[in-house]
Amino acid sequence: MVTYIVRRLVTAVLILFGASFVVYQLTALSGDPLEDLRASSAPNRDELIQARTELLDLNTPAPLRYFGWLAGAAKCIVPFAATCDLGTSIQGEAVTTSLSRAMGNTITLVTTATILAIIIGISLGIITALRQYSGLDYGVTFMSFLFFSLPIFWLAVLLKEFGAIGFNNFLDDPDIPPSTIAVVAIASGLIWALFASRSWKRKGIAFLLGAVVAAALLFVLDLVGWFADPGLGPIVILLTGVGIAFGIVLLTAGLRNRKALYSSLIMVALGLVAYYVVNPILNAATVWMIILLAITTVLVGMGVGFAMGGYDRGQSMRAAALTGLLMGLLIVVDRFMVTWPSYVDNPRVRGRPIATVGAETPGLEGTFWINGLDTFTHLLLPTLALLLASLASYSRYSRASMLEIMNMDYIRTARAKGLSERTVVMRHAFRNALIPLATLVAFDVGALIGGAIITEQVFAFAGMGQLFVQALQRTDPDPIMGFFLVAGILALVFNLVADVAYSVLDPRVRVKA
Amino acid sequence: MRFGRTSKAVGVAAVAALALSACAANTGTESTDEGTEGEATGGNIRVVEVNAFSSFNSSTSEGNVDINGKIAYATHSGFVYINNDLEVVKNEDFGTMEVLSEDPLSVKYTVNEGVTWSDGEPVDGGDLLAAWAIESGYFNDAKTDDAGEVTSGTKYFDYAGDTGGLGLTELPEIGEDGRSITLNYSEPFADYEVAFGLMSEGGIDTPAHVLAEKGGLADEDALIELINTTPAGDPEKPVDRPEIQAVADFWNTGFDTKSLPTDPSLFLSNGPFIASAITPDQSMTLTRNEDYDWGPIPKVDEITVRYIGEAPAQVQALQNGEVDIIAPQASADTVEQLEGLEGVTVQQGNQLSYDHLDLNFSGVFEDEKVREAFMKTVPRQQLVDTIVKKINPDAVPLDSQLFLTDQEPYEDAASSNGSDTYAEVDIEGAKELLAGATPEVRIMYNRDNPNRLNSYTLIAESAAQAGFKVVDGGLGSSDWGAALGNGTYDATIFGWINSGVGVSGVPQIFKTGNGSNFNGFSSPEADKLMDELIVTTDPAEQDALQIEIDKLIWDSKYGLPLFQVPGVDAHSDNVTGMEYMPNQTGVWWNFWDWQVVQ
Amino acid sequence: MSIQTPSDVPSTEPGTVTGPVHPEVEPEAKGLSQGQIVRKKFFDNTAAIISLVVFAVIFVLAFSSVGFAGIPGWWKYNHTEFLPLVNGGAPTVTGPFSWGEHPFGQDSIGRDYFAMTMRGTQNSIIIMFIIGALAGLVGVIIGACSGYFRGWPEAVLMRFTDVIIIIPVVLAAATLGEGVNRLVGAGAQIWLLGLFLGLVLWTGLARLVRGEFLSLREREFVDAAKIAGASNTRIIFKHILPNAVGVIIVNTTLLMSSAILLETALSYIGFGVKAPDVSLGLIISQNQEAFQTRPWLFWFPGLFIVLICLCINFIGDGLRDAFDPRQKKFSASRAKESAKPAAA
Repeated sequence: MVTYIVRRLVTAVLILFGASFVVYQLTALSGDPLEDLRASSAPNRDELIQARTELLDLNTPAPLRYFGWLAGAAKCIVPFAATCDLGTSIQGEAVTTSLSRAMGNTITLVTTATILAIIIGISLGIITALRQYSGLDYGVTFMSFLFFSLPIFWLAVLLKEFGAIGFNNFLDDPDIPPSTIAVVAIASGLIWALFASRSWKRKGIAFLLGAVVAAALLFVLDLVGWFADPGLGPIVILLTGVGIAFGIVLLTAGLRNRKALYSSLIMVALGLVAYYVVNPILNAATVWMIILLAITTVLVGMGVGFAMGGYDRGQSMRAAALTGLLMGLLIVVDRFMVTWPSYVDNPRVRGRPIATVGAETPGLEGTFWINGLDTFTHLLLPTLALLLASLASYSRYSRASMLEIMNMDYIRTARAKGLSERTVVMRHAFRNALIPLATLVAFDVGALIGGAIITEQVFAFAGMGQLFVQALQRTDPDPIMGFFLVAGILALVFNLVADVAYSVLDPRVRVKA
Repeated sequence: MRFGRTSKAVGVAAVAALALSACAANTGTESTDEGTEGEATGGNIRVVEVNAFSSFNSSTSEGNVDINGKIAYATHSGFVYINNDLEVVKNEDFGTMEVLSEDPLSVKYTVNEGVTWSDGEPVDGGDLLAAWAIESGYFNDAKTDDAGEVTSGTKYFDYAGDTGGLGLTELPEIGEDGRSITLNYSEPFADYEVAFGLMSEGGIDTPAHVLAEKGGLADEDALIELINTTPAGDPEKPVDRPEIQAVADFWNTGFDTKSLPTDPSLFLSNGPFIASAITPDQSMTLTRNEDYDWGPIPKVDEITVRYIGEAPAQVQALQNGEVDIIAPQASADTVEQLEGLEGVTVQQGNQLSYDHLDLNFSGVFEDEKVREAFMKTVPRQQLVDTIVKKINPDAVPLDSQLFLTDQEPYEDAASSNGSDTYAEVDIEGAKELLAGATPEVRIMYNRDNPNRLNSYTLIAESAAQAGFKVVDGGLGSSDWGAALGNGTYDATIFGWINSGVGVSGVPQIFKTGNGSNFNGFSSPEADKLMDELIVTTDPAEQDALQIEIDKLIWDSKYGLPLFQVPGVDAHSDNVTGMEYMPNQTGVWWNFWDWQVVQ
Repeated sequence: MSIQTPSDVPSTEPGTVTGPVHPEVEPEAKGLSQGQIVRKKFFDNTAAIISLVVFAVIFVLAFSSVGFAGIPGWWKYNHTEFLPLVNGGAPTVTGPFSWGEHPFGQDSIGRDYFAMTMRGTQNSIIIMFIIGALAGLVGVIIGACSGYFRGWPEAVLMRFTDVIIIIPVVLAAATLGEGVNRLVGAGAQIWLLGLFLGLVLWTGLARLVRGEFLSLREREFVDAAKIAGASNTRIIFKHILPNAVGVIIVNTTLLMSSAILLETALSYIGFGVKAPDVSLGLIISQNQEAFQTRPWLFWFPGLFIVLICLCINFIGDGLRDAFDPRQKKFSASRAKESAKPAAA
């Protein structure tokens, strides 16, 4: 295995050499860096052309110029020397600086979207596989392909129009007209009906239930002015928590496992206590504090599960830890909601919270909660756009994978043993269905840093994609090479990771050293 | 039973929780007063720019990007600025510009007392001298070959502007008061008014004391001494000037940064605003320079600049109330959409760039009659109607090769230069001139620019009616620039940018054999007038000369100016004071008049 | 030498994967040839059939209306004529049979938008098919050779694939696009753009096919063919390839629909099809500012993009289901029912 990895890494370096030469030549051929100056009527036009020629060393043929770049880039390999020289952009900024900044921005932009896309996409895939050729299957397939086919700048314009401008206008005067309530109710009813199983009677009940609940919820929220002054409060947290506890136990251990259920319920109670106890500390919250609290919660959850004992302690521990974590999330969300009015009224925000461009409100200074909300309002739309566009591939692949697994002999065996459908799906099928997806995810994570060119542009995010496109439009080779190095190395590494992970996850696959 | 115990525990916990929640009633998490205090609340204006800020020195060829120039404009002062009628306005609160003698031309610049950099150092003669040394190219002794490669000597300060004007001056002396210098020109220079300390080019933007210190010298006096004692550059006899080189090296790159430097001397202000925060590639905040009282006083406390490249994104950000002022790339739909927005004021006008059709004075167009015939077929009004009208409803075809409609002498020039002959398409007249001939004409243009493509299509269609065989010579955006003047085409459509102020650009385009004279236009008479023009300092005489040159160009059947490129900016009604400006300073030109409606 | 079993196939163990079709036919389809099974399954798939019909209609409309390759179409305008604005450039279509002068309206300088949309659809479809065919061909050949021969051919071919994978597609498209314009002018650029994109987009398919081949080559029927003296070519094309055809077709169709979107994205940043020719991607990104003021400039090409993508995807989905012998209609509740007696 080690020999294999080493050999692959060595080849990767050679590949980088070859490809970087090609990329450099492609860049040099892709345009005319002097275009804007040639048609200039400035009295010193010739001098300007000469200055840029010298800056980019245009009189040296591109194949030779490559080695100049390579000499600088080679220094990056020297460990701890900090002599890395990837050149500078036309505007004189070191490529290493702009790369690290662009990478940071891209990671902020795409991480949430990718994680959510993976979770939601896979869940949708699994559910549609279990209900193959049902209304739900067709509905989800149609919607995910629809979002997949929409050009993302179109999606962005729509999201901004309705998600930001429309919603902000609504917040100015948060009053929901009955017609909207009716539309939302019908939509919600339809979704519930889709998820309900096949019989028309159950679909009808689900539709009614969904519609009524949605309408009532909207009506009440509207009545109490919730949208201007949101919050969950202890009662809602408690009720949701209990719901979460049951849901998690149902999925992970089965409701018949009383110990797991009780552990989870204890965690809900503890969470509610924590809601009051931790509250004062949260005023001075930092990211690290939240992470620390999350870890504590998980540990406490595992402790509770362990204390409950039983024949399968692991299940109780998992369920309790997960419930605790989600309770913590509820408390944090509640806290963010309570901070919302003061964020909206902030003079920098001027009552228009949902943003259409950028990553932050310039000049906004505030607590962890205010800044957190600011990040949320800025990332909401681009994340949504990316999420919708990338749902299709995950849901399709996981659906196919799940369908294949469900026809396997060992699933038939599991059923024949009399295992419950939950156990069959969650323990036998689901996990195996994830294996091929690991490859896909590894690839996507590798490609992720390459940025989302168009999304970045329409949401004015200065990430890797924008760095690349702007350099390309100026025919500026150094930033392009920097981009290529980062994206290329990651692609190669994750390519390898995918291969290795696959053989680790699936014991039938063996790496030949 | 363990089960029972657990149930009890759960029950107790639940009861405790409910009791607690009852105590706390429904207040839930207490809201705290967060983040509202200590903010600059009054008068913040948020303006959108397309490009991201990259340097506090906008005068180098690397830093010469529109946004850097605008930031320099807001953070520095100078002797003159240009208003939106394209007139030169003196900023006497900063200092005086005094013409001591017309011929030989001698101009004295004096900075007022009390004008300081934001670190407290006075703006004085040393700063003026340093600015002069940079902008005059005094030390340069570089020689270049045809390929643009430097063969000997050095270009020290990588100044992006034209050194031709100040290059005529000799080494100036600092006045007795220590706050003035006198520039003595070896011959009269037409654009002397805007040659030094022009605010839209950064004004006096280099603090000499910082330059000296960072360039390895002891202090400002050492720099003055160095400038005074180092020999002037002579390309024939290049010598090494290591100390000047060190100073120039710092000036060339030392101010380049995308983030706010920790060293405040790298972004000193002597203007109304000073940079206070930068998020690279996202936004930049300028706050008031407390000391500033030498020039127009701004009304807002803070300007936030945000960078948004896409026009639709700009419009939606304005609509969403995230920004106050935008200047998107103009398109008919953007304008219409902006006009449809409530609470938004749209300002339309011309830019200083204009598209034109040039006919080569060689090949098929060597015959003046053929040129004239072709010019008669150009549907200029139709071009304006289809391409420009929707963006700028006041647009008209441009009727002068030298003046733009926004300039005062335009009317005189247009009425006398014979442009009215080509106001209407005259197919019959063109046919007559061609006398049955069907010349083949290859037109070169940038195919990737939709306006040029549309112009070409309309021109080609019309010319074909008169019997011209038009060949599409359009090239991609990376090729057309290199093809200019290489003789592979007969006519070309592209754009020039008129500086709006000054006359140095005229000979660059129209004088025989000059760098941007691509179609081989040559008129000894015009050459003579242009020689005269660039040494004429009186504006009225300049105008008269230019009107004459304009007529000569039209008479020679040079080609046709087509239209000025339209521009648009828009601002929310929460702010006032913006006025449209055709030049590249754009809406920033009167940022001191910007005001937040309370 | 590399990984023994494929890394890209959804499952691996020989015998349980998308198994060979001819030796063991599904019991309920006994007596039918492979082609018959596939056809039957495909025609049973409503979504795929509807998509096929819709796509055929779009195809015929696009190619017959504005003509193709010099053959004139039945529509009166072409995509380059400047015409006086009728109805302020707004669409004149009022019903399925009263199209009016400019059914889809006109763009800002008066070109007929129906003609532009049709021409754009044509071009987008051409690009899509070239990419599909070319990427399919190259991907299959490279994947098949490296998967079948293993050893050094595999090492070389797969590392070559890595090189292509890490060269940014946008950069390749931009450079090649410039080169194309320089070499051939605007006329043939659609074909060449498709050609070049096809030449860089085959990598994913190559990896998948290689995976497929790696597992199939170990199967008994391949050994049998070898013993019978079949040549390598014959084994690859007659024995293994038919078993991998499901994966190939499915992934090619997915690739084709993403090719349309890629072309749109390229046009958006200025490196796609160049004016005066049009593609759906080009006109939709040229008119993105018209979203609120003249929405028809946005909606019509957008509608065609979405329709084509949806159709191709559903057809691909249908093909996948049809070709995959293991993927029969699965129902959780029925499976539960049938499992119960066994448990009892």
